[in-house]
Amino acid sequence: MAQAAEIVQVFQPKDYKSDLKPIWCAGCGDFGVLNALYKAMAACNLDPNNTVVVSGIGCSSRLPGFVSTYGFHGVHGRALPIATGIKLARPELNVIVVGGDGDGYSIGAGHLPHCARRNPDITYLIMNNNVYGLTKGQVSPTSTIPLISLQSKQDPKRWKTTPYGSTEDPIDPIVQAIAHDISFVARGFSYKPNQLADLLTQGIRHKGFALIDAFSPCPTFNQDQTDEFYKERTYDVPLDHDPTNKLKAFELALSDEGFPIGLIYKKERKVSVQDELAFLRESAVPQSLDQMFAHFMS
Amino acid sequence: MTQEIKVNEAVEVSNSTDVVLRLAGESGEGVVSLGDLTVQMLVQMGLDIYTFQTFPAEIKGGTVMYQIRATESTTLSHGDAVDVFVALNRDGFSLFGDSLRENGILVYDSDVFTPDSDAGRTEYALPISTLALNEKQAVRSRVSPEQLKRLPPPKNIVGLGALLRLVNAPLEPAEQYVKDLFARKGDAIVEMNISALHSGARHISEQIESTGKRAPKVTPRFDMPKRLTLNGNQMLAMGAISAGCRFYSGYPITPATEIMEFLAKELPRFGGSAVQAEDEISALGMCLGSSYAGVKTMTASSGPGISLMVEMINLAGQSELPVVIVDVQRGGASTGMPTKTSQGDLNLALYGVHNESPRIVIAPTSVTDCFWTAVDAFNLAEAYQCPVILLSDQALATRKSTIEHPDLTQLEIIERLKPEAEDILKNGYLRFLDTPSGISPMSIPGMPGAQYVNTGIEHDEAGDPGYTPELATVSKEKRFRKLETCRIEQGSKFVRYFVGRDEAMIESIQDTDVGVIAFGSTEGVIREASQRAINEGFSVAHMHVRLLNPLPIAQIEQFASKCKTVLIPELNFSGQFANWLRVNTEIEFETHHKDEGLPFIPNEIYQKITSLAVS
Repeated sequence: MAQAAEIVQVFQPKDYKSDLKPIWCAGCGDFGVLNALYKAMAACNLDPNNTVVVSGIGCSSRLPGFVSTYGFHGVHGRALPIATGIKLARPELNVIVVGGDGDGYSIGAGHLPHCARRNPDITYLIMNNNVYGLTKGQVSPTSTIPLISLQSKQDPKRWKTTPYGSTEDPIDPIVQAIAHDISFVARGFSYKPNQLADLLTQGIRHKGFALIDAFSPCPTFNQDQTDEFYKERTYDVPLDHDPTNKLKAFELALSDEGFPIGLIYKKERKVSVQDELAFLRESAVPQSLDQMFAHFMS
Repeated sequence: MTQEIKVNEAVEVSNSTDVVLRLAGESGEGVVSLGDLTVQMLVQMGLDIYTFQTFPAEIKGGTVMYQIRATESTTLSHGDAVDVFVALNRDGFSLFGDSLRENGILVYDSDVFTPDSDAGRTEYALPISTLALNEKQAVRSRVSPEQLKRLPPPKNIVGLGALLRLVNAPLEPAEQYVKDLFARKGDAIVEMNISALHSGARHISEQIESTGKRAPKVTPRFDMPKRLTLNGNQMLAMGAISAGCRFYSGYPITPATEIMEFLAKELPRFGGSAVQAEDEISALGMCLGSSYAGVKTMTASSGPGISLMVEMINLAGQSELPVVIVDVQRGGASTGMPTKTSQGDLNLALYGVHNESPRIVIAPTSVTDCFWTAVDAFNLAEAYQCPVILLSDQALATRKSTIEHPDLTQLEIIERLKPEAEDILKNGYLRFLDTPSGISPMSIPGMPGAQYVNTGIEHDEAGDPGYTPELATVSKEKRFRKLETCRIEQGSKFVRYFVGRDEAMIESIQDTDVGVIAFGSTEGVIREASQRAINEGFSVAHMHVRLLNPLPIAQIEQFASKCKTVLIPELNFSGQFANWLRVNTEIEFETHHKDEGLPFIPNEIYQKITSLAVS
């Protein structure tokens, strides 16, 4: 008995499936993303008991219900603060954040640069379908048909809340992420699930804040940015790309040749908030309640 | 000359110290440091302190006022009329001078302005800058040119000397204090400051000799045991740490920021952390994440920040997460009057939510009670698994008080109900198990087999989403049942009864003419006012309610039944507490509510009580 080796349980992708069936439409890109996530969690051998999947609100944010880990389905746009709180309270937990482009780049956009500044060791997976799906077809911050001007008389994309065309330019999530200095920035595509699983695996293993923006087409409300659209316009990040070179990362992200899929930017040795706070706690001189009161006695 | 005699008589009649000092002047020009110094001296003389400060919103400039009341027994309010007013500029006097008692004493910085004379009061000119500069000049040969350049003239010490002499207090404690404070700067600086102290005192002595008028005497009590001197924000932060708070996230806002400054410094020493968030939404978001992960957590803000948190508070109520949210209320709507006080966020605390989800609302009543209410807040959050909103206010938060060290042996810490590993193995785990109390065992990540999704979506016992009418009814009843459990278990523990200054048992209150029911930081001022009324033969009792939701209805109705007339005084425009009582109870009452940015003074409540007693 004394010699018994510690048994390391090995998890399979199916171990992360919950009993709930996804509520997504047939043909939704999120199915591919979910399967990639199961694979990545298995590749990292995450213990479901020690893993929390956090989300906001939207079609993709229902994902925590479809995994067997702990989950936190919060309010719209606030997944990052909640996930940060979990990680800071319990640094030993694996924390994965999931959500859509509206959740992350519109209502929750204000949290992104600050999460980048803190660089908590969490992984943020955005299922980007360039449309608001749960509310049935409104313009999103990444709705990508560029508009020159309503006055140009071009035929602009007409979303339900912008029946005469959107007057706002889309956000480029990858360029923005590099600018925020997020320490791991990658782009995936739900129709390249193995590659996406690999990127998620790298992101989970990355020590710091990792953002993976995955194109995840909406077959119901977006007839423009379809799986075909992205299949034609995506290409693998060139093998000689150096993701640690920020200027090259910008160059790749800004290229108009289509959408590079893969790891685009990575910053090693960036300070991470949960480590800094742990250092503060460990280096502080412990104090009793009485000692705290003593400062105010006279 | 008749008034002069009155003042002197007053001094002789009163054996025990009770003096109200008020300082006013340009913000950033030493009012606060002179006030703090004076407080320290009075504390060292064994007196009981109660301060009230009101600040301009500007970073520099504007008029700041610092009122100090020192008494021999426990001080319950910052007092009514001011005995000694120290005006460091004309604006300070014109804005805050009207509360100087008719025969009071005005000390003014005669280097800065000369007030219009008033027959009733006594005026003492104190050329603070000139006197301070003289002191500096006197030591110029004894310090290096470098040091001389950086040496501020000791204006505060001149002012302190004058004040102490005016209230007939000894200078020795101040001398010792100055020695300790400036010891490391060398003998010359120590001597300059001691000389400055005497210079201020002498200047006043000369004038007292010619007028014969002095303020009420301050009698030191050097036999006093050591006590704490601190304000409501500090005491609240210490209560949080004592209750086991180990994570804090907040966003700076007046007048709550001091809580975060305190916790950011202290939490690491207790194995905890504080994080400044990018906004209040993120602050509470981080707290909810931390609480979900099993760590006790708090955020603090003021009205505008709490408004931003409303959606997150609702999530905590709906998904049954323990969390403490402190609202240090400030004056006015929208940006309002950030540096003034109010009890105007009661409605926000009670009703700030879309649809309905349970939350507990409590309010501390004094600086001491800030400690215990913070402890209670954590215990209630853990026990009933819901957000607890703690309503402090600007006047209480910045009020310095001398108090006894809280008896930490009375500290009782409640932890949330957790599932047993054996139970999980045998029966599986339902996070939102419907129980008679409404309280379900709550797992935390890391517990094998007890995974669940914390969600704001309507959900069944397992946490799985559902929209059926039956589920909507059963789930909401389950969550709100916790408040009924709380009302039954806690109601009687969260009310206090007073007859005058003293705490009383409900049984001792019978056939009373006027019963006052109130909440929050007004406790002391009401006790003082009702004592005054009782001294004059009126029949008065007072109930202070610390738990505002769920409201201790039975206790309130019982108290009201013993009083002919009930008075509800509060510091907001529409009478929010009175309205809350109308919703929840059958009692009838008179109201007194206003929202001027200032706390009640005893006389105002006394007038109200006595007018109701005779009518």
